[in-house]
Amino acid sequence: MSDLDRAIAQLRACRLIPETQVRELCYKARELLIEEGNVVCVDAPVTICGDIHGQFHDLMELFRVGGDVPDTNYLFMGDFVDRGFYSLESFLLLLCLKVRYPDRITLIRGNHESRQITTVYGFYDECIRKYGSANVWRYCCEVFDYLALGAVVLGASSELEPSGPSPMVNNATQSTMAMENGGLETEVLNSRGEVTMNTYRGRQRSSSDPNPPSLRAPGTGASGNGAASTASRTGAILCVHGGLSPLIDTVDKIRLIDRKQEVPHEGAMCDLLWSDPDEIDGWGLSPRGAGFLFGGDIVKQFNYKNDLSLVARAHQLVMEGYKEMFDGGIVTVWSAPNYCYRCGNVAAILELGEDTSAGGTVARSNGDYARSNGLTGNKAGVRSPGRRYRVFEAAAQDTRGMPAKKPVADYFL
Amino acid sequence: MSAPQIPNLNTLRRGGGGSRGRLRGRGGGPQTGNQDQVVQGTDNDAGVSRLSAVRLGYLDDPYAPVLTQPGAETRRLPIINRGTYVRTTVIDTLIRRFLDGMPATSRKQVISLGAGTDTRIFRLLSSASHPPVQNLVYHEIDFAVNTAAKIKFIRASPLLQRALGADVAISAAGDALHSPAYHIHPLDLRSLKKGGKKEGEGVPDGDATTSAPALREVDPTLPTLVISECCLVYLAPGDAADVVGYLTETLFGGSGEAPPSPLGLILYEPIRPDDAFGRTMVSNLATRGIQLPTLHKYATLEAQRRRLQEHGFYGGQAAADVDFLWERWVDEAEKERVAGLEMLDEMEEWRLLARHYCVAWGWREGTTGGQTTDAFDGWRDMEGQKDG
Repeated sequence: MSDLDRAIAQLRACRLIPETQVRELCYKARELLIEEGNVVCVDAPVTICGDIHGQFHDLMELFRVGGDVPDTNYLFMGDFVDRGFYSLESFLLLLCLKVRYPDRITLIRGNHESRQITTVYGFYDECIRKYGSANVWRYCCEVFDYLALGAVVLGASSELEPSGPSPMVNNATQSTMAMENGGLETEVLNSRGEVTMNTYRGRQRSSSDPNPPSLRAPGTGASGNGAASTASRTGAILCVHGGLSPLIDTVDKIRLIDRKQEVPHEGAMCDLLWSDPDEIDGWGLSPRGAGFLFGGDIVKQFNYKNDLSLVARAHQLVMEGYKEMFDGGIVTVWSAPNYCYRCGNVAAILELGEDTSAGGTVARSNGDYARSNGLTGNKAGVRSPGRRYRVFEAAAQDTRGMPAKKPVADYFL
Repeated sequence: MSAPQIPNLNTLRRGGGGSRGRLRGRGGGPQTGNQDQVVQGTDNDAGVSRLSAVRLGYLDDPYAPVLTQPGAETRRLPIINRGTYVRTTVIDTLIRRFLDGMPATSRKQVISLGAGTDTRIFRLLSSASHPPVQNLVYHEIDFAVNTAAKIKFIRASPLLQRALGADVAISAAGDALHSPAYHIHPLDLRSLKKGGKKEGEGVPDGDATTSAPALREVDPTLPTLVISECCLVYLAPGDAADVVGYLTETLFGGSGEAPPSPLGLILYEPIRPDDAFGRTMVSNLATRGIQLPTLHKYATLEAQRRRLQEHGFYGGQAAADVDFLWERWVDEAEKERVAGLEMLDEMEEWRLLARHYCVAWGWREGTTGGQTTDAFDGWRDMEGQKDG
């Protein structure tokens, strides 16, 4: 067993590794992350996760529900630290997994991966408390500076393979009709793997669509010709922690940012980590004091221009674990159940399946597709990916082998 | 896709008795027997939150450091600081409106229930930001343990003594204080029963330890404002109603020829226990031994308004949650100042928390000095929340 595997085993048991080992781990992680672009390309299948916030036991529950690394390919959209009481254990475990299985786990930066924010929201204090000095906090912050700002998921399937038993809550009419009209588009499962909701894609294609759904059985490889795969292909999915920026109109502009620094108070990099979608037109001021609010029109334009079918982001607490907005053009994924041990919310992860219809080849377009070949007329053919949400609740903290210390949440007394 | 080798922590709960297991883990944990102690301890929690908000510039309160347990100072999270700010400034505003609504020459009275180490009286008496209030008599009622602790702070602090002025008398037991403008009464609120005897007539239950002098100097003829800042919510519903009934009917209900005096009540309490956040709040507080017995009875703004109505505050009843009060009562410039103190990382969490606390206020007109006055006229244009 290598040192790294030992560290992983130790961290999985929620026990910290020595400071010297942390320093070495952070050094290796930086070497690895420096090679990544600002926008990492990730091939489906992938499981997309939102905020973790040091809720270590809930991260373990996430792995139980979503599958372990490296069996499952993970993309974590930042905010690993702060607020929860096990930021160190959570972040160091994710970092170990990144170093051990670099191609099976992607970490991008959240607004809490910042020196300034961690001094207010708990991670700094936790480092001092658990290691007796700020050294480990400093090592971790240096890693934060190298984390990618976003990821683009390619090759996601537009339709889901049915996952298991029929829905517990069966919207019968819709299902029957939809079965005839198109494939499974969205499925929601609870932590026991039971389907609690599903929706099927309605018939939206025009009569010129060369591939009616009945002829496009996934996995047959029948739609291998160029025209067919263009018409039915799923656009890329952009993953960022916060959202869009008025300074960023193409994915390429994200690639131009000099990211290796503390999160600035303003500008494109700040916006990507701080902004929120909102039911407004255009851009608005954010009540958070950093980033912007952006409306459905902005998302629509951005997705169209960049040949994207979906923006996946985290950053905002959602009581139901996930929330789609703007006709499914953007989704918020939140992976910290009972946030801060106080909010009573459930958490979710988003699974995107692999599109096998094109024989497993992936068009490496990642946003440049339309511009490179000028086929803007085909944009109507960009379909949103099939989405499987796994919803889970907070892990019990007073179980055998787990620390019995119950975190105390603040209230007004 | 689930990973069978990872244990499902939720199925490993110890014998299903989650809370019992937790308490054991905490080394015994609070039992029902020391429920009162737990409630008394909530004052320290509130004091630490207040000091945190003061240190960071949310509130200006020179008395916070000297009225907080030494060594207990902790920086609270930004949402807690903002909540402390809203709670404090909103109640301050209502009190100011009451005090300023009457001529400086006429006497008025404030009774603070479960006041603990509250700094308000010192702020009112000091000339720091406002002209010091004239002709105010301010009473605080709390468990003797808490009043004794506060009096100890006062004895140790020249700053507090200066604010109180000369002519301060402290009981031999060190748990009662009397001065011309300020009285501290060591009293278990549960001894105040509607229909029970009035001040000066002996104790409601004939209990010699909480005898009438405990509420001496309360003048039943003055326009009076009663404040319960996270206090009545810790009592059983019957006890809480009894305390208010004692004040509205027995103490300030008038006697013989004298009609009732003007009376107002401000409540600051948690609400909405039945949604996901509320359920979590109830269970989290329960693991700390804190029960909120009236929470379900007054679970909504509407229930709080009805409660005020039922207690005879016919002049008006209003209620608003802290989220609403932050949005509507704090002006834009001040909002900007406060928002600039610390960055809120999660707005939804703030709204969730802030929607689970409310301020409710109600008043009745009455007669004082032979004249009918509407001492609470200044409350008429304070915006409450219409629904909820």
